[in-house]
Amino acid sequence: MSDVANQKITLVSNDNVTITVDRLVAERSMLIKNMLEDLGDTALETEVPIPNVNESVLKKVIEWCEHHKADPPTSQDDDSDSRKKTTDIEEWDQKFMQVDQEMLFEIILASNYLDIKPLLDVGCKTVANMIKGKSPEEIRKTFNITNDFTPEEEEQIRRENEWAEDR
Amino acid sequence: MATDPSPCQSLDTLPDEILQHILFYISSHETLATVQRLSKRLNRLCSEPLLWRYHCLFDFQYWDTKHQIQEKFRGNVGDVDWKALYIHRRTVIHRTTEVLDSVLKVQVGRIEKFQQIAEFGYDAKDTLLKHCQTDDIAEDVLARRYYSNAALDHIHRSEALAEWHRLAHTDNVPLERALGSFDLFVLHDHQGDLLEITQLFDDLAARLQREVTGVDQMPPRQKALAVAKFLRAHNFTGISSDVAYHDLQNNYIGIALLHPEHPSLPLISAAIYCAVAQRLGLHAQCAEFPNHVHVIVYPNDGESLDGESVSREPSFEPMYLDPFRTDSEVPVQYLKSLLTSWGVIPAEFSLYLTHSDPSKMVLRTSRNILTTVREYRGHGGLDTDGHPSILLHANPFSDMENAFYSALWANFMLGNSSRRSGYEAYSRNQFIPMILERFERLYPMDASLIERYICAPLTTSKNQDIVQLWETLRVIRQGDMMPKPIHSRKGDECRKVLYKVGQVFQHKRYGYTAVIIGWDKECGMNSDWRVQNQVQDLSRGANQSFYHALVEDTSIRYVAEDNVEISTSDVPTTLMSLAGQYFKRWDRENRVFVSNIRDEYPED
Repeated sequence: MSDVANQKITLVSNDNVTITVDRLVAERSMLIKNMLEDLGDTALETEVPIPNVNESVLKKVIEWCEHHKADPPTSQDDDSDSRKKTTDIEEWDQKFMQVDQEMLFEIILASNYLDIKPLLDVGCKTVANMIKGKSPEEIRKTFNITNDFTPEEEEQIRRENEWAEDR
Repeated sequence: MATDPSPCQSLDTLPDEILQHILFYISSHETLATVQRLSKRLNRLCSEPLLWRYHCLFDFQYWDTKHQIQEKFRGNVGDVDWKALYIHRRTVIHRTTEVLDSVLKVQVGRIEKFQQIAEFGYDAKDTLLKHCQTDDIAEDVLARRYYSNAALDHIHRSEALAEWHRLAHTDNVPLERALGSFDLFVLHDHQGDLLEITQLFDDLAARLQREVTGVDQMPPRQKALAVAKFLRAHNFTGISSDVAYHDLQNNYIGIALLHPEHPSLPLISAAIYCAVAQRLGLHAQCAEFPNHVHVIVYPNDGESLDGESVSREPSFEPMYLDPFRTDSEVPVQYLKSLLTSWGVIPAEFSLYLTHSDPSKMVLRTSRNILTTVREYRGHGGLDTDGHPSILLHANPFSDMENAFYSALWANFMLGNSSRRSGYEAYSRNQFIPMILERFERLYPMDASLIERYICAPLTTSKNQDIVQLWETLRVIRQGDMMPKPIHSRKGDECRKVLYKVGQVFQHKRYGYTAVIIGWDKECGMNSDWRVQNQVQDLSRGANQSFYHALVEDTSIRYVAEDNVEISTSDVPTTLMSLAGQYFKRWDRENRVFVSNIRDEYPED
């Protein structure tokens, strides 16, 4: 029986929780999709470890995949985009990304590891939008960035790009 | 759940590849002004060439040729300092805007300032285009649009003259670029510059290859006919009606490509044909034929036009086409019979049945333009029927002046008494005074072009006129650096000047609409002018206020107060586009143009 729509796959998070999901949902991850293509259906009968992702993050990622399971496949070659990338995010994704910052970073890392490009994009756009319009000090505070410049160094960079401030 | 100390609280913990990914979603402005200051690591990531190549690709449309930007985009990303290039472009935006603002501010040093912008070349075009599209509600909308267009026009002319200069000195200027240089003189902020023309032809050839199956495998004759058929079927050659034959727009290869009806004279039709046919590997060129330019297609080496290999030398049987009129071949016998009927002796047939070089086609186009403009002027006005239309992209009168100016330059740059030709009765130097007259009146910012292309080459020839020429330029440049004399209304006499700068009036006798751009307390002209203009017939004679007035046909006239009747009708759009030279905007409520020449008329 190879009715793809009904097939399930079992994933194991790095904190050892097993989660069973539809094959079509899991295949939003190019990592899993490629693995299934390489190993064939035998992989469906075993548990697939996801060593870099814990349960709560994995569930969150699966929630996203579930919602987006019917999306058309993304184009591989996105440098050929003929337009500038926008930071627009669709409404459902915006709500989905209303999480604490730790979770946001975890989702970005997990989507990068699992190779879910559209989710990675949404995560990166979210961070970019959080940076928009803030002063350097505000950004450092928001994202816990350590300023390793001396005041003189920072002032020099600022001065070199002074013209960029009035546009 | 156990809250073990997470490594994931800080942006610092994300790997480089993810931070790089994020940076692509941050504006270049924010990256430069903010993000690169955050930490050393982010500073390093904010300098990645790939990021700045991306911004260069999408933030700017036009690039000066000196960058050879297409090769750079195609090449290895690491070979170019993309960030430095990006910052250079941003500096150009900044400087161009700054200089333009200063042009708008005061009527001093404008030649110098235009030259500063022109030195950025095509890099300034994006910024100037933005100012050309200044919002209607801007405080200085008319002035900003006018001067950004003027600067852009100047840059376009510099490009055109550089192209013709190359054409005069080398052999490798494609016909479509040589002819497209005429478009540059009238283009303003529209599409259709040399690069865009080239691109349009590339696209057209690609489309032909898609739509005509097997065209690449056809022998030359069949292919040549297929090209003619394709172009005529899509209306790319020929003209819709005989009435429109003399319209000015038919001389422009860029307009012919972009206009929905693709109007073109036989010469332009032939040039379009050649540009497409050459892209498909045909040896097609414009033929020297009198009156009506034809196309000549030569066979490839060692092969006849029908694809048979020819061992005999030379394998030389060309074919002729007239893409303007027909998509079939024109028999050479027909062309010979035409020549005979014009009195050409058979020994000279070969002169007319051979291909022509692009500079000849530029000269023929320039003469077509001169003829059209003269014919139009002969009819005297826009309202007469059956005369050529001169409408191109903007104010038709400026279009006409620009077209005329381009034709003069073409004759100067490419006309040469030593070239073999029947039509060239003029020596190129005869065009210098005509160019100079227009330069002084309409294009003072072209001083650098006059110096480069007219003065410098003549200097070596010890020509007496050259002294005069340099002197003229010196006087113009000096005049441009002088603040304008101030016309204050303080003092009793000036109170008698009834009207002020910016008011729109109708000439009582001639009926034209004009706007006041200056005044004198009494007639400032000499007695000859007074006699010629019958000043003594006016009720107040020379002893009344006189006004300098800008008319919609681009002329500036001197009008007695007696002849001024303040207008209450709508201001013609033709006048609106010119008014930016002196005015900031139209004040609808008070029905005046808001002065931008307060340095000259402080109280108006």
